[in-house]
Amino acid sequence: QKKKRNQPRTPNSDAEVIALSPKTLMATNRFICEVCNKGFQREQNLQLHRRGHNLPWKLKQKSTKEVKRKVYLCPEPSCVHHDPSRALGDLTGIKKHYYRKHGEKKWKCDKCSKRYAVQSDWKAHSKTCGTKEYRCDCGTLFSRRDSFITHRAFCDALAQESARHPTSLTSLPSHHFPYGQNTNNSNNNASSMILGLSHMGAPQNLDHQPGDVLRLGSGGGGGGAASRSSSDLIAANASGYFMQEQNPSFHDQQDHHHHHQQGFLAGNNNIKQSPMSFQQNLMQFSHDNHNSAPSNVFNLSFLSGNNGVTSATSNPNAAAAAAVSSGNLMISNHYDGENAVGGGGEGSTGLFPNNLMSSADRISSGSVPSLFSSSMQSPNSAPHMSATALLQKAAQMGSTSSNNNNGSNTNNNNNASSILRSFGSGIYGENESNLQDLMNSFSNPGATGNVNGVDSPFGSYGGVNKGLSADKQSMTRDFLGVGQIVKSMSGSGGFQQQQQQQQQQQQQQQHGNSRERVGSSSDSADRSSMNVNTGGGPASTSPPYGIHHASF
Amino acid sequence: MVAMFQEDNGTSSVASSPLQVFSTMSLNRPTLLASSSPFHCLKDLKPEERGLYLIHLLLTCANHVASGSLQNANAALEQLSHLASPDGDTMQRIAAYFTEALANRILKSWPGLYKALNATQTRTNNVSEEIHVRRLFFEMFPILKVSYLLTNRAILEAMEGEKMVHVIDLDASEPAQWLALLQAFNSRPEGPPHLRITGVHHQKEVLEQMAHRLIEEAEKLDIPFQFNPVVSRLDCLNVEQLRVKTGEALAVSSVLQLHTFLASDDDLMRKNCALRFQNNPSGVDLQRVLMMSHGSAAEARENDMSNNNGYSPSGDSASSLPLPSSGRTDSFLNAIWGLSPKVMVVTEQDSDHNGSTLMERLLESLYTYAALFDCLETKVPRTSQDRIKVEKMLFGEEIKNIISCEGFERRERHEKLEKWSQRIDLAGFGNVPLSYYAMLQARRLLQGCGFDGYRIKEESGCAVICWQDRPLYSVSAWRCRK
Repeated sequence: QKKKRNQPRTPNSDAEVIALSPKTLMATNRFICEVCNKGFQREQNLQLHRRGHNLPWKLKQKSTKEVKRKVYLCPEPSCVHHDPSRALGDLTGIKKHYYRKHGEKKWKCDKCSKRYAVQSDWKAHSKTCGTKEYRCDCGTLFSRRDSFITHRAFCDALAQESARHPTSLTSLPSHHFPYGQNTNNSNNNASSMILGLSHMGAPQNLDHQPGDVLRLGSGGGGGGAASRSSSDLIAANASGYFMQEQNPSFHDQQDHHHHHQQGFLAGNNNIKQSPMSFQQNLMQFSHDNHNSAPSNVFNLSFLSGNNGVTSATSNPNAAAAAAVSSGNLMISNHYDGENAVGGGGEGSTGLFPNNLMSSADRISSGSVPSLFSSSMQSPNSAPHMSATALLQKAAQMGSTSSNNNNGSNTNNNNNASSILRSFGSGIYGENESNLQDLMNSFSNPGATGNVNGVDSPFGSYGGVNKGLSADKQSMTRDFLGVGQIVKSMSGSGGFQQQQQQQQQQQQQQQHGNSRERVGSSSDSADRSSMNVNTGGGPASTSPPYGIHHASF
Repeated sequence: MVAMFQEDNGTSSVASSPLQVFSTMSLNRPTLLASSSPFHCLKDLKPEERGLYLIHLLLTCANHVASGSLQNANAALEQLSHLASPDGDTMQRIAAYFTEALANRILKSWPGLYKALNATQTRTNNVSEEIHVRRLFFEMFPILKVSYLLTNRAILEAMEGEKMVHVIDLDASEPAQWLALLQAFNSRPEGPPHLRITGVHHQKEVLEQMAHRLIEEAEKLDIPFQFNPVVSRLDCLNVEQLRVKTGEALAVSSVLQLHTFLASDDDLMRKNCALRFQNNPSGVDLQRVLMMSHGSAAEARENDMSNNNGYSPSGDSASSLPLPSSGRTDSFLNAIWGLSPKVMVVTEQDSDHNGSTLMERLLESLYTYAALFDCLETKVPRTSQDRIKVEKMLFGEEIKNIISCEGFERRERHEKLEKWSQRIDLAGFGNVPLSYYAMLQARRLLQGCGFDGYRIKEESGCAVICWQDRPLYSVSAWRCRK
């Protein structure tokens, strides 16, 4: 039976951890013959050598008993293998690791001038150097891997972009949901979209290694197709390509632009090297498909100020080709549109489609009750409530009936399920009039369109949403049916309800204040937490955690 | 209402087989109220009225199912079947699956019937169909995309500077995630690492397909890559099979998998005590109200401050319940801890579907699946066959599992992030807050790709993906505490 070379070794076994010094690891001939001063790497070899001098010698016998497994640490403190939990399983492994990662690269390939620290690596490379060729799908041959990768990045971007182009032009908002298409196709779209976005953090690293090539996940361009203006289209197209930049502060700029200047990117793509229109460039670009180097370099206006473009045309390797993720462009389009409505800002998470915006007239994300989601699909058709909204309404009605009929104040907190529960059980229970209520509300025309006229169990719902604008108040009030609450209040005045009413009134009357109130209280919370920190800072860090930190 | 059902009881008391009950029912149409709308008018209800009535019926039915009264449940089920429809509006669709699940559950109390009915029903376990549905879910919802993005980002950040990276995927069904990771690694400033991905899945075909796609991509990018397929159900997984080696940096990704470990037999005990409560529904009510009352006022105010899902039905009850110990989950997490991964990223459904009583689970899952079905409603036309597939084969099956199964069979035991955090923490992991960049990217993904209505909430370093205000899924990253 063939011996398995790479036996899996679980790192957490109780192996003996051995830390060798760099000197020991680097030593080539640790075992010296006292007669002729010849050095040997292994003691066994020295013993065999001693035989030749007629010196006493002894070969170690293979011990029959199970030896305790040893793992070896890398002596370099900054190395991940310096941590005992990440020690390497064999001595040769740790030696080679130390040479490769922390040693001098002494061995140089004559053909490609690549350098190696371990002789065997160099030997292995020399055997294949020049023989291995990299062939791109487009037919171009490369002898070196990095040139090939550089080329591939461009070549791929082109291929993906041209494949996507037709769909982009139709600018389907639901681009990522190609129901009619076959699975494979949509597969590619969806996955590459992720790719595109996963690169977005990457530019921060670009200043370190100019030789690096970021591959664009151009799928994001498809997402950009949701917008319809021609500039958007350009943006989406451009997103498929690489921008060249050698700007170390690129990261900062990008960061900055995340927050504030999203819009300005959208239409302002600047072509650095060509006077032609952007679209023409694109065309030409795709014609150049089969050459390894692109002839045009696109740049974004926000980069152009401090950007010396190197000649990427002749030598793609030398240039730092930076992929500006398509996500940026695409988002910028989005923000462009949204800023006018929501006030923009990175923090505004839930953006609502325009039909919502128009119907609900300046609703910021937090305050849109999900009842409105019903109108999303077809704003002009007859209003139909979403399932979530129906559940909420059911909960509200349940609470109404339980309040009115049971006379018991069923703890009107905003826990919808308890209310819904009472809705269910109330019917199951003694009250026939519950159902009467239910049916009455059916016939009540006010109840169909919105939740008007229903006692609200969500007393604090409005309060939950900080910073409602004045415009929205009327919406909220309608929604919660405050008038009804006041009416029902007079009937049964439990403490909870009073509280609820107060909350409602607060929400109505002091809406401008609510933000301040929240702000100041969080301020004080901050302060108190700071106090805690200064008071018990050192003591509070638990020792194991600290050690853990250090080890990584 | 009670009167109505009692009436039914009276008329159908002779009938013992469902068919007979059905026939008497259809002859003797129950009326909603003696005076107002008769049963045949149900079809003419406006969508909203119908929706409300469906909810009402579902709850009534669930009460009957919980108390084990077949005849009453049957009456409710019949009305439900009249109104619910898998290709109707959102509420009709949801109701259709809940109706089926409830019927399934009550039918299980007649094991003979249940088995006889399901005897010939060969489980059409079509692998390609399963993959297809999973793929549709991936496309129609941003959830997996966000999860993959955050997972990859967390892995990338944890693996900075690493040369030997081993990623274990506990649900190796989707190559897209790792294709993205390959590309991201390739663009690292320090160059790509030696990458090994171990995929765990119970179907060989899925792993083969994945291996093919990944190896192809790795070759294209010229990244040293190895795919290690482990054909096994996650519950039967032996940690040795993962072949973790010394010296490599380990990452573990679990997408919607951990909750299956919660399935256990301790339900037997809980079910017994649950039954006692179920026989006395007002008792449950009282208990619930009691549970809410303490701390609810304070928490309501807290919610004011933190804009924390104001109407979430689970927030209060979840925190006041002690964490039930789950031996299998703990031992699995411990085994993973033993491999000392640099990072473990967990995506879970952020709902409380692991309540001990049917009623709890029904209410919670109604809210969750209402939100999920609403998502589809805004995205996909009602006539779409793909939509119906996702609803039926994914959500419908989950609903059925949550509602009609108990014990080891009930695998869809979704729990809130809070509970997972406790569990994972207890197993010796410390939370790694998701980075600003990761969150930014995830938000952009939602904004940029037409996923309006979704939000990402940050909750103590973890991400919670919400539909409107309803939390649906959570993503959290962890590392070994020593």
